[in-house]
Amino acid sequence: MALKLNPFLASEPITKSPPPPSPSFALPPMASRSLRSPTIFMASTLRSGAASTKEVESVKKSFMPPREVHVQVTHSMPPQKIEIFKSMEDWAEKNILVHLKPVEKCWQPQDFLPDPASDGFEDQVRELRERAKEIPDDYFVVLVGDMITEEALPTYQTMLNTLDGVRDETGASPTSWAIWTRAWTAEENRHGDLLNKYLYLSGRVDMRQIEKTIQYLIGSGMDPRTENSPYLGFIYTSFQERATFISHGNTARHAKEYGDLKLAQICGTIASDEKRHETAYTKIVEKLFEIDPDGTVLAFADMMRKKISMPAHLMYDGHDDNLFDHFSAVAQRLSVYTAKDYADILEFLVGRWKVENVTGLSAEGRKAQDYVCGLPPRIRRLEERAQGRAKEGPNVPFSWIFNRQVKL
Amino acid sequence: MAFVTRTPARASFALKQVQVPVSKICNVRSVSLPVAGRSFPSLKARHFQVFCAAKKETVDKVCHIIRQQLALPDDATVIGESNISQLGADSLDTVEIVMAIEEEFGILVEEDSAQSITTVQEAADMIEEQLKKKGA
Repeated sequence: MALKLNPFLASEPITKSPPPPSPSFALPPMASRSLRSPTIFMASTLRSGAASTKEVESVKKSFMPPREVHVQVTHSMPPQKIEIFKSMEDWAEKNILVHLKPVEKCWQPQDFLPDPASDGFEDQVRELRERAKEIPDDYFVVLVGDMITEEALPTYQTMLNTLDGVRDETGASPTSWAIWTRAWTAEENRHGDLLNKYLYLSGRVDMRQIEKTIQYLIGSGMDPRTENSPYLGFIYTSFQERATFISHGNTARHAKEYGDLKLAQICGTIASDEKRHETAYTKIVEKLFEIDPDGTVLAFADMMRKKISMPAHLMYDGHDDNLFDHFSAVAQRLSVYTAKDYADILEFLVGRWKVENVTGLSAEGRKAQDYVCGLPPRIRRLEERAQGRAKEGPNVPFSWIFNRQVKL
Repeated sequence: MAFVTRTPARASFALKQVQVPVSKICNVRSVSLPVAGRSFPSLKARHFQVFCAAKKETVDKVCHIIRQQLALPDDATVIGESNISQLGADSLDTVEIVMAIEEEFGILVEEDSAQSITTVQEAADMIEEQLKKKGA
């Protein structure tokens, strides 16, 4: 039995140094183990202790990006349920697409950045950089991590298009689901663009390292373990959108505290998009609870048992073997996104979907219901214990800020 | 695509990444406890571990904690050799089991110690070691 004092957050508690293998879960925390080896079989044969320490040491020098270790399961939803989503298309048009904003009414990154077409451009840039000077490195580490997550958008659109019954079959499919996915992607695309330009202009960060990290991350992809099931998929996205809403909301608040009101506006605007998306996804799952309560509660329990893995948990910058864990430790310390947030989000969703009151469940369904309803306090208790025992974290360099060090 | 071309040998460092008892620390810790004159019928025909085994009372308490945590049916076998994960404990269960052990025995369990525990017996041994340290 491997103890992770906080398996829901970063892979290891802040006390540990060097960090052990990391289950990284969503939001900041957990879930899939990342393994730095070409195949899982390698790891299992090495377990017998055959590898000499020398070999281990010399291999350590050659860093590689992490990969998912869990077995990748596909199409776990019974095919007859695809019908459910076909029959929901009208409902989705009336109830989900309304949460999209018409492009003409949308903000664009340029609205929040110095205007290159104006004479005052250089002054605006100077002011931006002056404000950014007042913001500490640890905040930038978290902001960069968030930006990198946003910039891996191709992975998320891909993920949505893996889901049976709702995928965009051609790239321009006219179904409500496909319209939603494309428009959602288009809205999200602005988030990465805006943060990218801000960070570029700020002068506080090493853009090349960040760009490298993004390239690695998109190359790595991610498997959120949604198994092509829209039940699992929309539960996952519901959780994630709320998580990003909370996270960007916190970075906005901190930016304000540091006196950068423009940056606060940037983060706050992104957060409000996420809130709107959360509303849409939770509505879909609410409808699924109506249509198929047993299937949906089982899916909810399944996702929570597997733990919601963070989209950027495979992040890698060519230097730090435990980059995601380090990043999420800082996010935890700054209260941008914490294990407590994970528990809060879960509790929120249990309430939002009225899971306690769902009836007509099978025996398995009732077990799942009990599990999900009882989970938030268990996570909280765990988190309290971890916090109570957390010692001061070590200082760790981040290539994103020119190897300046930040406390975990 | 770079990682695809890595040779198998380079994967060896992954060893440290796998959550498995790399060396059976319990084995190394095996100390011969004087058990002369006492018979442990329940530990008969076991391997060498019986000589460093924790008190039956401790093992029983651990079994009880695990039964509670995992809500096991009365007829489920939980003994010293039982593998805790195989009994159905997920990662959340295992942390909660450790927390219950800490409360029950008034000890603090460090992550390093917990990492190497896979069976009830190992948990009981670790507990006794902690209690000894505390007593010292």
